[in-house]
Amino acid sequence: MIVPSPDQLVEAGASVLARFGYRPNLGVEENWAEMWPLLQGDFTTLGRPAVPAYQELRPSQQEAARVYMRRRLIADRLWEECRKAQAGLYAHIDTEAVERYSIAREAYEESVEDFGRAREQVEALL
Amino acid sequence: MKTYDKGDILPEDYKQALLNLMSFQADSEYAGGQRVAENLRFAPRPEEAYRLSKKVMEEMGHGYYVWNLMRDLGVDVDARLQELCRHPDDPDRGKVNVINGFRKENWSAWFECWEDVALFSTVVTPAAVAFLGQYRDCSYLPWARVNVRIHKEEHGHLAFGVWASKRCIEFGGEKTREFMQARIPKFMRVGLGFYGRPSSGGNKSAMFDKYYEYGLKTKRPEELQSEYLELLESRLTEIGFDMPTDVQPDYEMRVGYTLDEESVNEVQPQ
Repeated sequence: MIVPSPDQLVEAGASVLARFGYRPNLGVEENWAEMWPLLQGDFTTLGRPAVPAYQELRPSQQEAARVYMRRRLIADRLWEECRKAQAGLYAHIDTEAVERYSIAREAYEESVEDFGRAREQVEALL
Repeated sequence: MKTYDKGDILPEDYKQALLNLMSFQADSEYAGGQRVAENLRFAPRPEEAYRLSKKVMEEMGHGYYVWNLMRDLGVDVDARLQELCRHPDDPDRGKVNVINGFRKENWSAWFECWEDVALFSTVVTPAAVAFLGQYRDCSYLPWARVNVRIHKEEHGHLAFGVWASKRCIEFGGEKTREFMQARIPKFMRVGLGFYGRPSSGGNKSAMFDKYYEYGLKTKRPEELQSEYLELLESRLTEIGFDMPTDVQPDYEMRVGYTLDEESVNEVQPQ
């Protein structure tokens, strides 16, 4: 659920973005606290064997953790796109199908790189 | 060197040699992607899993690129992909040309842990970078162009290997570094054997001279080995490993696609 900014100029931006398809997120927020333990292993180095639970993170750490987890969710969706494109190739390989896969795959790869960068940002704050 | 572009009429012998090499690359890249997908089970942490999953998609993509060129030459490539998908553990040797190293029975013997996965990309991939690099300058220009892209991505896989190895040591410390150091030779044997046997002498590859004469292979195994060793040493040093000495090549895995004539399943255009 969105929390409005107290600044009206920022809120007015929503109506401009809406002209291009922006829709406020009115759905249920992800359960970040539940997702965090599945990903904590990325940070449990020798020097830091234990990582705090999500609720124990400072606000800035939580924000970075949410970005990291959102990046992962984006990667998951783009991975699914690659698999769909592979199904098309299984039916028939041609230039169009290969190009489709190539575009899906590059987007997935970039999303994994973004996930990695987000992990580094969390790492720097822990 | 005479070159050919898309749509040019290819001499029959040349076309057969080209299709042999392209089929080994395409079928093996895809099968290699399948093997990497099996290795996902070793991933110890989220980022490792996602980065390896990305590599799966890249390796399979290399297969699609080269198959698409083979399709232009009249080969039924759909059947090759379908064979690999239906029988990933043991694809029919009469239908696809998968190098021995990327067949499950050989591949799975190399991998016991995530450290092996990291080391494969660190120690064997430099050989792929050197080997596939030569195809960028080959006489069949569509294949050369596709290999410019593939070569760039293989460099990315090498970077993955260095990253993954450093992470292993970051999480496991000196004990892990020593554990990995001891496992480097088994992968180095594969890397050293990647380009096939030397280009001269009694044990030389039966096919090398033909591929070289046609401009399909543009470097001799000795040149590729020298490039490999230079690349390997720089990466091992960057991670903090020592370069092993007295490691003997394993030519039997034929990772570099140079099979002898009787082993080749000839690719016939329809």
